[in-house]
Amino acid sequence: MPSSVFFRQFERHDHAEGINAHATTYCPGCGHGLVQKYLAEAIDELGVKDRTVLVSPVGCAVFSYYYFDVGNTQAAHGRAPAVGIGHKTANPDSIVISYQGDGDLASIGLAEIISTAQMGIPMTVIFVNNATFGMTGGQMAPTTLIGQPTTTTPTGRTLFAGQPLKVAELIAGLDGPVFVERVALYDNRRRTHAKRAIKKALELQVNGTGFALIEVLSECPIHLNLEPEAAEAWVRESMEPVFPLGVKKDVTDGPGYPPFPTPTFDPERTLAALGTTTERPERYATTFPLHLDAEDISFKLAGAGGDGAQTTAMLITRAAISEGFDSTHIPSYGPESRGGTSYADVHVALNEVLSPAAPHPHVLVAFNAPSLAKFGPSVRTGGTIIYDSSVITTLPDTLTDGVRVVGVPFAEIANELGSVLVKNVVALGALQGVTQLFPKETFLAAIRSALRGKRALVELNEQAFERGASMAAELATR
Amino acid sequence: MTDIVENKTAHKHPPFVVPEFCKGCGRCLDACTRDCITLGTEINPITGLVPIALDLERCNSCGLCIDACPEPFGLRPEGEEAAFELVDPAELNGPRPYDAPIPEPWPDSTVALSERAPLIVKGTYAAAVGAVLAGCRHVFGYPITPSTEGAEMMAKVQPMLDGVFVQAVSEIATVNMMYGAGGAGKRCITFTSSPGFSLMLEGMSYMIGAEVPAVFVNIMRGGPGLGNIGPEQADIKLACRGLGHGNTHAIVLAPATPQEMLDLAMLSFELAFKYRNPVVILGDGYLGQMTGKVRLPDHMVVPGIPEWAVYGDHSHRGNLICSIELSEAGLERHNQALDAKYAQMAAEEQRADLHRCDDADVVLVACNTPAQLAKGAVKELRDKGVSVGLFRPITLWPFPIDALRQVTHRARHLVVVEASSGQLEDEMRLALSHADLFAPEISHVRRQGGVLPSQAEIVEHVMGLEYVLSMQGVH
Repeated sequence: MPSSVFFRQFERHDHAEGINAHATTYCPGCGHGLVQKYLAEAIDELGVKDRTVLVSPVGCAVFSYYYFDVGNTQAAHGRAPAVGIGHKTANPDSIVISYQGDGDLASIGLAEIISTAQMGIPMTVIFVNNATFGMTGGQMAPTTLIGQPTTTTPTGRTLFAGQPLKVAELIAGLDGPVFVERVALYDNRRRTHAKRAIKKALELQVNGTGFALIEVLSECPIHLNLEPEAAEAWVRESMEPVFPLGVKKDVTDGPGYPPFPTPTFDPERTLAALGTTTERPERYATTFPLHLDAEDISFKLAGAGGDGAQTTAMLITRAAISEGFDSTHIPSYGPESRGGTSYADVHVALNEVLSPAAPHPHVLVAFNAPSLAKFGPSVRTGGTIIYDSSVITTLPDTLTDGVRVVGVPFAEIANELGSVLVKNVVALGALQGVTQLFPKETFLAAIRSALRGKRALVELNEQAFERGASMAAELATR
Repeated sequence: MTDIVENKTAHKHPPFVVPEFCKGCGRCLDACTRDCITLGTEINPITGLVPIALDLERCNSCGLCIDACPEPFGLRPEGEEAAFELVDPAELNGPRPYDAPIPEPWPDSTVALSERAPLIVKGTYAAAVGAVLAGCRHVFGYPITPSTEGAEMMAKVQPMLDGVFVQAVSEIATVNMMYGAGGAGKRCITFTSSPGFSLMLEGMSYMIGAEVPAVFVNIMRGGPGLGNIGPEQADIKLACRGLGHGNTHAIVLAPATPQEMLDLAMLSFELAFKYRNPVVILGDGYLGQMTGKVRLPDHMVVPGIPEWAVYGDHSHRGNLICSIELSEAGLERHNQALDAKYAQMAAEEQRADLHRCDDADVVLVACNTPAQLAKGAVKELRDKGVSVGLFRPITLWPFPIDALRQVTHRARHLVVVEASSGQLEDEMRLALSHADLFAPEISHVRRQGGVLPSQAEIVEHVMGLEYVLSMQGVH
């Protein structure tokens, strides 16, 4: 019988009766049948039929799952290597074969094949290059030869349509693959060799060595409009000079691809990885800060990217939640990673934060003049503005009456402490000193919790907070 | 011309051919070094092709012709002929003789979690925590603001759990990796934002067609095009009505708080595997970036491998993940089966949250962060003496029409609050229409371009409604 990797009957399609149950959908003389026969024999000889997942492409080989008695997945056009990564990572013991044609791999799927090859994950790619789009009816492929007529290059491919893409050389130029070879099918010697190459590529996956690609120069007698024998001659005489046969890369003596670990579902390990803790933070506040609002206090913190407004906002949120209240923090950044603008809206609510935005905050912390000018006028009557007096020297005249304005030299104090980076913690201290939102201990605990694992920084940040708080308290009572 | 080579895998038997299985390509002719094979002369009445003719007098059983035959059942070593002839002809057209292994059950299980302090995390991060606790150890993604925190969190956490995080070359590769891993039966998730979601939709259609489960978190940002990274809700149409080409639907969940991001992420895996279908979680840019308090569940899931999966082992060898169906009748049946599945989702999976709707004359309709803003407006309006409630669809598809039905009995006016030009309202109106429900008066508060409707705008709109003005006049 044929290789046991082939189904005894090709019954996965509606017309699989009689001879159709034993004949492929490939045209007479097509190279696909040979490649698939060698692939089936290799799977058989390596004893991996049960573990094999064959990812079939869009193109003439789309129905490979009719023939192969292995796990089968049919992929979208060009995406077979990505689908293969999904399968291989899902079950590293599976043997994943991405079987693709030249339209699939070398045209629409270039990004997928290059990134997968570069990843070097153990996978076997069989690339069938027949210099044309077979299934859609003989259009130009990326591998079509210059001068070769196709239905979309009716007078022959010109340079304007691009030059034939040498996939084996392209992939061999990458660092990821361990083995790349181009083979052909036009005579006994080439066929025997092709069979060996396909088996080797598969073996390299079975052994966990790495990624291998075999490019097969294949005949499409129908769209070449040649008898099968003439098509073989055309591959030999016209294709091979453009696509030279041979091993393009062989680094199979390397250390092999690192083994995949087995995912854990241990609950304690999972909870630890998620950064959870059993520690319940202590509460220091006796009530909700009713002197600021009966049930919901909003804050805006604004500065340049890198000022640390988001960290200050995060610390307020942590402090509020540790006191048992609800709190939210929404950041808003400019496009820059540093510099640009960085605003944060924070709410602290007795029960539930309803609107998380802070269009009219109770408290504004401004790290620079543009932020003060932009958000100062939005602070609600009875609210508070705390600004960095080391960089803001004149106040805008748009600030509303009935708003308390306190300048604290965040940056200056931070510099005195030896690091301008802690000016946002000085600002947090100032916020505590001016508003008495929560007791100092609440914020200090939040700071220590945020700096868990960075003990060296705790003292500096505590000092920054204390300095900000005491200076603000002093200024606020003036 | 032909190379004489030693065939190391010689079949050691002369060839035979069943004429019906030969396409007459002639590739075996020049493979034979002894001229045993010729092109035939007679058309085979069954195939309409001209098979080769064998004259094996000079055959040395080298097997090269067999290696040159492209057909699996074409030229074969002679010893097999007898075996072949023993096949009962009835079997050729009878039931499939294939001995596929019956997949062994590999069920999911749950384990209890010890009690932990609540997390203080961003919405996207909370969804990632939910996914991890739902048993997801396979994450594929491509960075895009404002959803990147999910990928970053997974890139850190998955290796600690010996799980997989792959940064794909694009969103297109991402969705196809999910097609592979989901098809292998694994729980996988991705985090993306509007432009990336657009790119994933072709793959989404394939996944729905091939019935592959996976979870997509789309933190919607301002569009169209590159737009901006502010919060919008303008992908509701895409998620509810436009998941790629063909007859596609997926359950679309719309969380409103970081806590719900976690809870619905866990639920989404349950639904994805229950229905063998992708699930979409829509958040807005605010929700994705919003830090809040998140309580952990009391259990986590240890997933198994479903019986239908192409896992790559003996048990699952007979399986196929595939969305192609050439026969029109077959594809129509497949679509009818999908329709039945969608109908079951519509019947069983509607979810909504009703806030102070019992006595409400005016009902706000909103989801995601706008629902929180609307909740603030409900309080403010109630303080002003207006009887207002909030209807918050948690599933946008299927739209929770059964719950809305309860509201429309009483409400005089529905106000749809959304950060899009009416995509949520369209879903609601369509659901009302399909349900043949008499709709009360409908108006809306809409913002776009990365701006959410503010609480003040909602309050002002409601206070300006004719009905409210008349009631205020009465009072």
